Amino acid sequence: MQSLYVEGNSAMHRLSPRVKLLSLAIFSVVLFISTDIALLSIAMLLAAVVYGIVGLPLRDALRRLRPVFLTIAVVAFFNLIFNPWHDAVVTLLRLTTLMLLAAAVTATTTITQFIDEVTALARPLERTGWVQPDDIGLSLGLVLRFVPEVIDRYQAIREAHRARGLKVRPTTVLAPLIILTLRDADNIAAAIDARRIRRHVS
Amino acid sequence: MDIRFEGAGVSFGARVALEPLTLGISGKRIGVIGLNGSGKTTFARLINGLTKPSVGRVTVNGRDMADEKAAAPDVGFIFQSPQNQIILPIVRDDIAFGLKRRGFTKTEIEAKVDGVLARFGAQALADRRAHELSGGELQVAALCSVLATGPSILILDEPTNQLDLKNRALVEKIITGLPESAIVITHDLDLVADFERVLLFHEGRLAADAPAAEAIARYREIAA
Repeated sequence: MQSLYVEGNSAMHRLSPRVKLLSLAIFSVVLFISTDIALLSIAMLLAAVVYGIVGLPLRDALRRLRPVFLTIAVVAFFNLIFNPWHDAVVTLLRLTTLMLLAAAVTATTTITQFIDEVTALARPLERTGWVQPDDIGLSLGLVLRFVPEVIDRYQAIREAHRARGLKVRPTTVLAPLIILTLRDADNIAAAIDARRIRRHVS
Repeated sequence: MDIRFEGAGVSFGARVALEPLTLGISGKRIGVIGLNGSGKTTFARLINGLTKPSVGRVTVNGRDMADEKAAAPDVGFIFQSPQNQIILPIVRDDIAFGLKRRGFTKTEIEAKVDGVLARFGAQALADRRAHELSGGELQVAALCSVLATGPSILILDEPTNQLDLKNRALVEKIITGLPESAIVITHDLDLVADFERVLLFHEGRLAADAPAAEAIARYREIAA
């Protein structure tokens, strides 16, 4: 999400992030109610129109979808092998529709808006005493911030293996990756405390 | 700045990280030097309230830093690894995050974020991703995030660590120009050479509390 936001002033940009996220959640459920190919095709076309509103050049718009669409195609392909063709088409249409809608929401919602909305939506759960909504927002931000760092660290460990002439094995890569990530997690937690980000709300 | 250590010390089980220390700190620039594991960072974490003293107490501007509710954000802390200090992906969002949690309005937040970026001439960093910043840029972004909340005292732990000469000069220039009081922990002796007061720690004890030249000379003796 961090690199997928597109500056703009489209109808999707102007729409409240809450409406966008709730609509996406509702569509995710509704799409799985129907198995009618005609209906799902219309839904997919509408989703494509919504994605088109974002204002991305066609080439960029397609490039963004490629990795997810390839995954959907693989899922649909296996469905085609093991299930009737109708099921495969339904799966393809449902997931493609969801991908288009999610891409539209992602391209028109900043990370801050996303965190704020998720925090606000979790606010009613605060009364149960089980959930701290501000922490949920913070956790989301941390995931988005540090996933690229963990990937970089993974690459560095792989390169260290190669530099020493060692074969890269999951077991020898994962252990140092987990240890280094946990060590950094301690430092990040200290930084959060030092900035009084959690202490202030508790 | 009015920092007081009143017999404050830290132990982790049998291991003494910092012997009980009684000390008053005021002034604009304080350097902290010493070998690795000498107690420098423990000393600094006590001032920020990140580490609680096992004995004694530490007060900052009259507030006991062991009391989380009383500990106001008087002390900003820049860690050795600024990449771990920036907790949201986009620099502007990260600076705004600390302010938002302190209850500032949207307009106030925007003004403060723009103000702190302008202060360091770092407007170009505003919409950059933290993951893509260089070491010097990360250090500046971390400074902006901390200073946006208006601490009167800033602790910098190894601020020039892993920086090239250009970025080191940039950070040194920023530290020199800070209106806030600064406590700088460093192995970079040139950085504190002009400081009015330098504290030297050795094996968990304060080994020297002197003007920079004297403390550095003593440090060289210890390290020899």
